[in-house]
Amino acid sequence: MKHYEVEIRDAKTREKLCFLDKVEPQATISEIKTLFTKTHPQWYPARQSLRLDPKGKSLKDEDVLQKLPVGTTATLYFRDLGAQISWVTVFLTEYAGPLFIYLLFYFRVPFIYGRKYDFTSSRHTVVHLACMCHSFHYIKRLLETLFVHRFSHGTMPLRNIFKNCTYYWGFAAWMAYYINHPLYTPPTYGVQQVKLALAIFVICQLGNFSIHMALRDLRPAGSKTRKIPYPTKNPFTWLFLLVSCPNYTYEVGSWIGFAIMTQCVPVALFSLVGFTQMTIWAKGKHRSYLKEFRDYPPLRMPIIPFLL
Amino acid sequence: MAAAAATATTKGNGGGSGRAGAGDSSGSRKKKGPGPVATAYLVIYNVVMTAGWLVIAVGLVRAYLAKGSYHSLYYSIEKPLKFFQTGALLEILHCAIGIVPSSVVLTSFQVMSRVFLIWAVTHSVKEVQSEDSVLLFVIAWTITEIIRYSFYTFSLLNHLPYIIKWARYTLFIVLYPMGVTGELLTIYAALPYVRQAGLYSISLPNKYNFSFDYHAFLILVMISYIPLSSTHGGLCPLTVMAVKIQCLPFYHMRLSSAEGSNVSLRLLLHCCHQSLDEKE
Repeated sequence: MKHYEVEIRDAKTREKLCFLDKVEPQATISEIKTLFTKTHPQWYPARQSLRLDPKGKSLKDEDVLQKLPVGTTATLYFRDLGAQISWVTVFLTEYAGPLFIYLLFYFRVPFIYGRKYDFTSSRHTVVHLACMCHSFHYIKRLLETLFVHRFSHGTMPLRNIFKNCTYYWGFAAWMAYYINHPLYTPPTYGVQQVKLALAIFVICQLGNFSIHMALRDLRPAGSKTRKIPYPTKNPFTWLFLLVSCPNYTYEVGSWIGFAIMTQCVPVALFSLVGFTQMTIWAKGKHRSYLKEFRDYPPLRMPIIPFLL
Repeated sequence: MAAAAATATTKGNGGGSGRAGAGDSSGSRKKKGPGPVATAYLVIYNVVMTAGWLVIAVGLVRAYLAKGSYHSLYYSIEKPLKFFQTGALLEILHCAIGIVPSSVVLTSFQVMSRVFLIWAVTHSVKEVQSEDSVLLFVIAWTITEIIRYSFYTFSLLNHLPYIIKWARYTLFIVLYPMGVTGELLTIYAALPYVRQAGLYSISLPNKYNFSFDYHAFLILVMISYIPLSSTHGGLCPLTVMAVKIQCLPFYHMRLSSAEGSNVSLRLLLHCCHQSLDEKE
């Protein structure tokens, strides 16, 4: 049987970092990363990016050596992705922040609204309802992170967490400040507006959860097999008929409901920013579905039925 | 300010690269520069802007000679200053449609920050218009812009006088800190009037449940000069000297033989390339 030799070089300096001889033809990139870690322990597999040329795309862990366009001596280029952190840790951090930060404003802890308002409570019912909705939303996300979601890529760079947390925590503080402010003004159309908004919020939260469950059931634990998601018996999943990423559709809907309920500009801005980002993700997802599945349902749009 | 320096670097790359590309196209047609119509438009735009800032310069000198004092010269050049600085918004459009190969985001930041200073600070707070700090940034901008726009014009015409290139990379060392100082002092002078009048501010309670404090915002703007000037300010003096030294041989070789011309072209590309690296 023929063996391969693998040479690993630094993508920037081109310096030779490692030489592996007698590598099995069926070896995967994942296995090569493990071998590389033996000589350079500081670069554990998750933070290694191996590619065929210095500025090329990262090879996938499951790629097999003998199927790559290389000779019996393969040269791979290494780039350090930086310290890695698990997705579960990332999401727990991102979502716990808004939950607790919002409550700080809700309970009006000192130094936020002036001494005379310390630990007082808002006189508007909608403010208490908003707190319940906001808390419910993030508790739901935390529980889903622990018990529902499965993550295909094991980790992400540590530095990204600061950017993500700034976004989530910052917006949470911003909207919480105004909603719980002593000078808060209730919605213009009163109870009717609040009820409508609450209905939108609840429906969309249920929808979002239903889609997450459907996506989870789509593939067994540990598997990387990809399938087209289809509607189930649950009516909330029927949105799959028209949309590729109904979880995002429902998520945006939830925030629109929350914005209507609170009638608060920062919430509306958060909804808009979130919608923009989720549209980008949805389009990417939609594109990859189309690329991967020839029989992908043509009626579907990425995030908004018929439009977007 | 940051806009002056960074814009100078960015636009310089655009002009040079575009022209170099056009030059290459006659041979291999691999590189893409702005087309002839775009080039003609850009030449006209840059000539108009050069002329505009010259009008401001002449206006300043005449007003100074007439008054015998440099105080309150702003009033004599207020209208053309607003017109031509606001006209620079077109440069964002140029980047967006691709006839100038510069970053839309970077250009937007640079132009918008100046437009902001003109309209949201100097125009809006009448009391600062007589401050000497306004004169400080106006003079810095005027000289910088005359050099910058004429640099682009000559680059697009493929004939760049050494004096313009020298001025471009050398006077910056004085003009940049001068402009930033003038801008910061002007904003600082505006603070008490903004607070007093509640200018451009929204307070609670209101049905949008949102507030905005322009006074605090201006303080944040001033604070943001620190990191922004160091990261986007572009050239530090050492780099300026390095670029200048790189360009010296270009000047001499330009006067020599055809072979020298090829060398000059490569040196020009090298300078532009180096500038691009600096930006990144």
